[in-house]
Amino acid sequence: MNVDAVNAALLQSNELLPEALDISFKPIPAVLVIAMLALFLVVGYLFKVADTEGMWVAGRSIGNVENGMAIGANWMSAASFLGLAGLVALSGFYGLAFIIGWTAGYFVLLIFLAAQMRRFGKYTAPDFVGDRFNSDTARALGALTTILIGFVYSVGQARGMGLVGLYVFGTDYATMVLIMMAITVAYLTLSGMMGATKNMAVQYVILIVAFLAAVYVVGLTGGYSTVLPQIEYGALINDLNSEFSEPFANSSFFLWIATAFSLVFGTCGLPHVLVRFYTVENEKVARQSTVWGLFFIMILYWGAPALAAFGVDLYDASQYGPTYAAEGGMSGGEGDLIVVLAAQLSSLPTWFVGLVAAGGIAAAIATTAGLFITASSAVSHDIYTNIINPDATQREQVLVGRATIVVLGAIVSVTALDPPALVGELVALAFSLAAIVLFPMFFLGLWWENTNRQGALAGMIVGLTIWVAAVVNDLIVPFSDLYGQVFPAIGAALVGTPLVFAITIAVSKATEEPPEETKRMVRQCHSPEPMSRQESAEDVATDGGETPADD
Amino acid sequence: MYDDILVPTDGSDTAEAAVDRAVDLAAKYDATVHALYVIDVDAVNYSLGTEQVDRIRQGHLDDMPEVKQGADDATGYVADAAAAAGVPTEEHIRAGQPALAIRDAIDEIGADLVVMGSHGRSGISRALLGSVAEKVLRKTKIPVLVVDARGEE
Repeated sequence: MNVDAVNAALLQSNELLPEALDISFKPIPAVLVIAMLALFLVVGYLFKVADTEGMWVAGRSIGNVENGMAIGANWMSAASFLGLAGLVALSGFYGLAFIIGWTAGYFVLLIFLAAQMRRFGKYTAPDFVGDRFNSDTARALGALTTILIGFVYSVGQARGMGLVGLYVFGTDYATMVLIMMAITVAYLTLSGMMGATKNMAVQYVILIVAFLAAVYVVGLTGGYSTVLPQIEYGALINDLNSEFSEPFANSSFFLWIATAFSLVFGTCGLPHVLVRFYTVENEKVARQSTVWGLFFIMILYWGAPALAAFGVDLYDASQYGPTYAAEGGMSGGEGDLIVVLAAQLSSLPTWFVGLVAAGGIAAAIATTAGLFITASSAVSHDIYTNIINPDATQREQVLVGRATIVVLGAIVSVTALDPPALVGELVALAFSLAAIVLFPMFFLGLWWENTNRQGALAGMIVGLTIWVAAVVNDLIVPFSDLYGQVFPAIGAALVGTPLVFAITIAVSKATEEPPEETKRMVRQCHSPEPMSRQESAEDVATDGGETPADD
Repeated sequence: MYDDILVPTDGSDTAEAAVDRAVDLAAKYDATVHALYVIDVDAVNYSLGTEQVDRIRQGHLDDMPEVKQGADDATGYVADAAAAAGVPTEEHIRAGQPALAIRDAIDEIGADLVVMGSHGRSGISRALLGSVAEKVLRKTKIPVLVVDARGEE
């Protein structure tokens, strides 16, 4: 099958309603979900910012483990909790590209970006682009990309929450999407003073307990596995259809590589991931919490293929199977819900399935909250305060931020009513955008001091154009087969990212070098001297004229 | 009559409209002017991101030079006006929800009068932004002199 056929097959299978799902109002799961939301608010209240004077005197730091959990919760959305197993279930071997893509990126982040970003020390991702390239246009492009990423990513979350909500509360998909998004937006307006990192750690614990419970209990009751379902599911491989287990049966080698590439480098370009590194104590904590974060993420990812395999086998055996039937078979909606479905098809009690569903909602809310705040800061801080109205008061910033969240929430809800792709695929689109537009700016900006404004602008504009064209071609109005082959929307970064690198470097070389102060700032990000807490690269670069040694 | 006059300011023209009256009163009663800037945690959350709220909680305001600069500028304006009139001043910076932080500052400083500006908002913008002056009025027992910025022009 070629790329187009895969996309067509995935789109055709995208019926919204999961037929096999038991859709009705269930009291115990509903109480579980509501109790979980209440817990978030209580934790937030207990750890709200205490009003004290002189806050710049020492305070308590966030440790590696806690920060790692926050990274995990921020990272693992409905796409990881639901979509990953769904993609593996629906497209077998191709789904593994997502598991590899969504974890391997952390190595690039660890080696090339985490500590250096901490040294640069700014507030938002567009801040970095704007300050590093001395350009408000670059800042605006960075902010626009950030908002687009937040939008596409959140549509996936809204779809996931709507589907899970169906199991818990019944009604219909559209109502559930609207209710769940309303809850998320309300939660955000309440969470201003809330214990950000503490709450994320709680969200992480809920989602990982729910997921592992699903993997272990489904494995045990189905007789698939005992202590290590992550490995034991291998015994099932030969029994499952070859569409599940045969490499490159559902998608070409090129699409596999392109997807994995996009996800790896998209990870390193996602604004809501990078901001976590700005605020840690120092670059050492930045590195250590990256490793902890990856570990906490792997705990879920090791289990996802196992749960997908159990789910496919259970689905085959159920009245709805076989999974890969030419007519019927597992729909997109059912794939997205395979985590919940597997528990339901194992005839487990509703409270248990409800726990799994609550985990899915926790994952979606945690990530959507992070994305919406990133988008609101892109509008309120980067566009409004930095470009439009430098005298903006704090109250105006709050107003602009809240308006952004409400408007974005409305657009996301409407789009999610009829989403063009699966949860995992929608989220992957955001990654390919981050990999094409933002990753080259972060990487070159931190590692090559001669990258200048003209190069960055040229690179970002080309990158944005490539991505928009790829999405239009794949999902909205197909205009070229060849373009779709080279730039599949999900994997557009494989060709797109190197192209943006080349253009940025070529234009930077052809135009004037950036000012000396900018170069010093870049060098300071790599200084072997451990940084003191108060310093950012900018301070050091403006204070001292000497050039620190390169590392 | 008054020994410690609290002047909350966010650096806006509205807030600064109240400064002249506060300084005048302080000069008459030999009182100290306390300039207060509250770093609004909601503003930090929406505009800089939730991670920066953590930063404030950890006491790392020095890592946020722009925020600290904004605070220093706002309280500095009040201090300059007071110095010009020969009135002693103290500058305070706190973080939290503005109205609550102002109430706590009143208790801590032992202030006996609050002088603050107000936008005189009504309708939708009042519903969306609320009025800090109104909330302070309700939360404190000491006299509050509210200076409507529109009446000062």
